[in-house]
Amino acid sequence: MNNAFLSIESQPDSLIVNVKGQWIFDEVLALEEAVAGVLPEPGQKVTFKCAGLDNIDIAGAWVLYDCTEQLSVLEIESELVGFKAAHFKFLQHIIDAAAIREYEEPDSEPEPRHLIREKVELFGGAMSTHIEDLGAIARSILDGVRRPSLIIIGETIKQVYYTGVQAIPVVVVITFLIGIVTAHQAAGQLEKFGATVLVVDLVSISITREMGVLLAAVMVAGRSGSAFAASLGVMKLNEEVDAMRVLGLNPNQMLVIPRILGLVIALPVLTIFADIAGIAGGALIAVGSLGISGLQFVERVAFSTDLSDFYVGLVKAPVFALLIAMIGTLRGMQVRFSAEELGLKTTMAVVQSIFMIIVADALFATLFTRMGI
Amino acid sequence: MMETVIEVRDLVNSFGDQVVHDGLCLDVRRDEILGVVGGSGSGKSVLLRSILGLQKPKSGTITVLGQKIEYHQPGPSRCWGVLFQAGALLSGLTVQQNVELPIALHSDMPVETRHELASLKLLMVGLSLSVADKYPSELSGGMKKRVSLARALALEPKILFLDEPTAGLDPIGATAFDELITYLQGNLDLTVVMITHDVDSLFNTCHRIAVLVDGKVKIGTVEEILQSDHPWIKSYFGVPRAQRARLAI
Repeated sequence: MNNAFLSIESQPDSLIVNVKGQWIFDEVLALEEAVAGVLPEPGQKVTFKCAGLDNIDIAGAWVLYDCTEQLSVLEIESELVGFKAAHFKFLQHIIDAAAIREYEEPDSEPEPRHLIREKVELFGGAMSTHIEDLGAIARSILDGVRRPSLIIIGETIKQVYYTGVQAIPVVVVITFLIGIVTAHQAAGQLEKFGATVLVVDLVSISITREMGVLLAAVMVAGRSGSAFAASLGVMKLNEEVDAMRVLGLNPNQMLVIPRILGLVIALPVLTIFADIAGIAGGALIAVGSLGISGLQFVERVAFSTDLSDFYVGLVKAPVFALLIAMIGTLRGMQVRFSAEELGLKTTMAVVQSIFMIIVADALFATLFTRMGI
Repeated sequence: MMETVIEVRDLVNSFGDQVVHDGLCLDVRRDEILGVVGGSGSGKSVLLRSILGLQKPKSGTITVLGQKIEYHQPGPSRCWGVLFQAGALLSGLTVQQNVELPIALHSDMPVETRHELASLKLLMVGLSLSVADKYPSELSGGMKKRVSLARALALEPKILFLDEPTAGLDPIGATAFDELITYLQGNLDLTVVMITHDVDSLFNTCHRIAVLVDGKVKIGTVEEILQSDHPWIKSYFGVPRAQRARLAI
């Protein structure tokens, strides 16, 4: 058999393989095929003559070495002669140096009984660390409130700016649009009963009680919940958090509290902006296409919507803010090893905070209905 | 005449008012270990990033193995390996996967071959295969550097770039790393460009030294550089630790 890499001469007691050409990384596939063609008869000794090699690198040398190894498994003697480069010696050195060459098989599957136990242990461990983390944060909030420091106040103001002031345009635009959508949908139904003017009630009550705060909170969860998790996660990966601890600063106080406080301040204010923008969106449709006059609209809003409706919406804002900030910072602090985990925790932060907002909103709705507000 | 593998001509790099490289020229010869030194902010890393096409120079041309380097264009990535300062291992992949990745991207080898070759590279840099399934975050600094070197060597490069390979290693680890580099370079026909502040590495490992001063390069053998009367070079090699390292060789 002859090809670009090998030519084989068979003699009575030996097989002479002339190794030639380019034994390099790019040719490994072809090389493996070529050496598979080295099939000595029983009792033949294989001699690889390597003088004709143009070029050989580690990958090529490995293919050659692997071939001799496989022959030795079949109890066939083989030798390599006429090497120019030092590669082979080098390669042998590596393989001799490493006692374990083969991969160890992973342990067999654990029994289902153990698997369940492991899962339960894992779940319990995760729960207890969560509770511990929450406790530590609550403790440092308490400490921070008792002895407020200037750094924390400055950092909190910065967070109010990032999470609140910068979010105003987007929150205003989306609630304005939702106001328009609600008015359109309501008008379509209510016109059938000749009660077009009730569109105003519907828009103003739904926006102030539910939609305003909910939209603002979901928007903030997407904007700031993810930002909290990502920024704290990166700080964790860069050992900045550890550095703070060593400097005697409590990272919970320095990083977590300003974000929680900042958001608790920012979200209620954003909610007010959202309420106004939502009602303005409703007004645009009511005045623009339903033939309700501006004065009529204002009167109707004042008649239908109590301050209590407004407060019902507003009181939820700090709770939602707390949920978003707690989940975001907690997830960020849990990043430990890799960039991938950072992404995972950031996703978790956003998904869980939006989920918890909706759950809390449902609880509030039930509570307020029972209370008759 | 020795063959030149990297040719930097009239390189100019500046950030704002600060001129880092001012018409820098550099030739790297085949099969040498070139040490690059310079003070903080003298543009060592910028030079490396320019050569790798990660930084757009203000002007000047860079040719590596006859191929002109363009900013963010695929360079001769098959022919070079880079060891970044912090290792830059992909944190979501295991050690084995990190080393296999370039092989998987650049060849259509069957999985087993790829696996064996990657294991081989790990053994070559002096790691045991028990680390293969670990994640980078579970490794020590020295091990990360070795894994990163194994990844840099995965594609049998002709040129190896090392950014402060011994920074952050203890003297034993650093000496072992230097020996490893010398050993690999001697056996693999490698050209090595090494940014380093480790004077021991400079004296023991490097064939030539390129000193970045005043936006330009002064290049020569260790002896030639020591003869130089440039004030920065004099003070660099005049500090006690450099003197000690010099006496040790």
